[in-house]
Amino acid sequence: MTRFLASLLGGLILGGLLGLYLGWVQFPVEYVDSSARDLAERYKDDYTVMIAEGYLSDGDSQGALERLRLLEVENAPAYVQEITERYITNSRSPEDIYALVALSEALGRLTPIMQPFRNIVVPEITPTEGAP
Amino acid sequence: MTDQLQEEPKTGATPARPSVDQQRKARRSQKAAKRTSDSAPATKPDAEKAAPEKPRKAPASDPADLSPAQQRRRSRYTRPRSFISRWGVALGLVIGLAGGLFYAWSINPQQEFDTAPWQLREEDRQQYLVAVMLSHPYRNDLAETLQRLIELRFPNDDPLQLVADVACDLARTGYVNSSSGLRAIRQMMMFYQTQGKSGCADSLIPMGDEDAPDVVQVVLATPTLPPPASKTPTLPAPATPIPAETTAVVIPTPIVTTSTFTIVDGPRSFCSSEAQGVIEVRVQDFEGEGLPGQPVRVRWDGGESLFFTGLKPERGPSYADFEMEEGRSYIVDMPGLADPSRTPMLAEACFTETGEQSITSYRVVFRSN
Repeated sequence: MTRFLASLLGGLILGGLLGLYLGWVQFPVEYVDSSARDLAERYKDDYTVMIAEGYLSDGDSQGALERLRLLEVENAPAYVQEITERYITNSRSPEDIYALVALSEALGRLTPIMQPFRNIVVPEITPTEGAP
Repeated sequence: MTDQLQEEPKTGATPARPSVDQQRKARRSQKAAKRTSDSAPATKPDAEKAAPEKPRKAPASDPADLSPAQQRRRSRYTRPRSFISRWGVALGLVIGLAGGLFYAWSINPQQEFDTAPWQLREEDRQQYLVAVMLSHPYRNDLAETLQRLIELRFPNDDPLQLVADVACDLARTGYVNSSSGLRAIRQMMMFYQTQGKSGCADSLIPMGDEDAPDVVQVVLATPTLPPPASKTPTLPAPATPIPAETTAVVIPTPIVTTSTFTIVDGPRSFCSSEAQGVIEVRVQDFEGEGLPGQPVRVRWDGGESLFFTGLKPERGPSYADFEMEEGRSYIVDMPGLADPSRTPMLAEACFTETGEQSITSYRVVFRSN
């Protein structure tokens, strides 16, 4: 009986460790229905760059600001500035940097490090037909 | 057994295999002999100890005489016993594995991090898709755009039709109330229409050629009924010709601005013990006169509220207010009439001039253009 109990205990420990490894590392819980606030940083960056590129296309800084609210950042202009400076510092894609700098400037956050990247002409916003 | 062995040469027959009963008897005698030898005093000479073991070795010296089942049984009893119970280990593994998985998945799951866009809730995924669509004209890389759409893992397998479906959904909501939302939907429509797809947004939102002016029909004159007949004779009418019918003139006009109202003041924060966390809105015409019955909308994360001016006559016809919840952030607009406020209004704790704790309130004034 002792032999059986000792083996059972050993199996429990081994099985428990294996279960924890599988449940935490190999097949961790995948969350769905998450808020955009919980997005991984690289996806937040991607989203911000896309919004900045949208701004370059339509020149709608107010709309861009509205869309950045999705990320639930406290200070959207400061957030854009931080990403822009990080992209410049890390020598990311120039196209991304151009867009981010343009949006930062539109939000009143143009800093000296952005100056070399601000030779972008942003189209003037045109009134949209049919909008109330 | 000795008798049997002695008799075999007499018969001259082939030595017969021992029967099962004989084998059992032999084993019993072996065990008995072993017990005897084990219980014997240690002072016995070695020759005496070894003597009883001879019959034990006899069956092992010729294993071919045993059937396979007997051999297995025999080895099972003779081999050294393992320190591990296979059943115990297996049972422990199963229970431990189940318990470990239950703990790792249910009791203490891994904290959420590294969330991908496909894990977002439906509304946020739609907003992410809008961002992808807005960046498409700048990047102009269809493959990359499609890849991003696929990564969102909407139920729709066709990413192009997905854009049409999302545009349809957004066109049915208040998303189109702002010019930026309308522009985004048109961008999506342009994207899927060029790929040969269609959706309900096509009928809900006209694509609108921005270069073409709107045509507004203006009626310059209204028909006047002839005066009723009077008892007093009237002088003959002068010979001035009266136009027989009114004319309708069509005047092309350029596109007008989108917003009817704009925020001319605010949101200005103030701290008062009487108004705790209140958004005070006033809507005025272009001369500053109060306008009752104007819709005002306040939005926050996960909700919105629509109310109208003039429902508190004691505060004037232009007045409307909304009570905020502490800690939340709000924006205010007039749906379809004015763009949202630029800065969010945060209902945070504040202290009045008298030192009382309260919640920050805001004042906003909309004025007609």
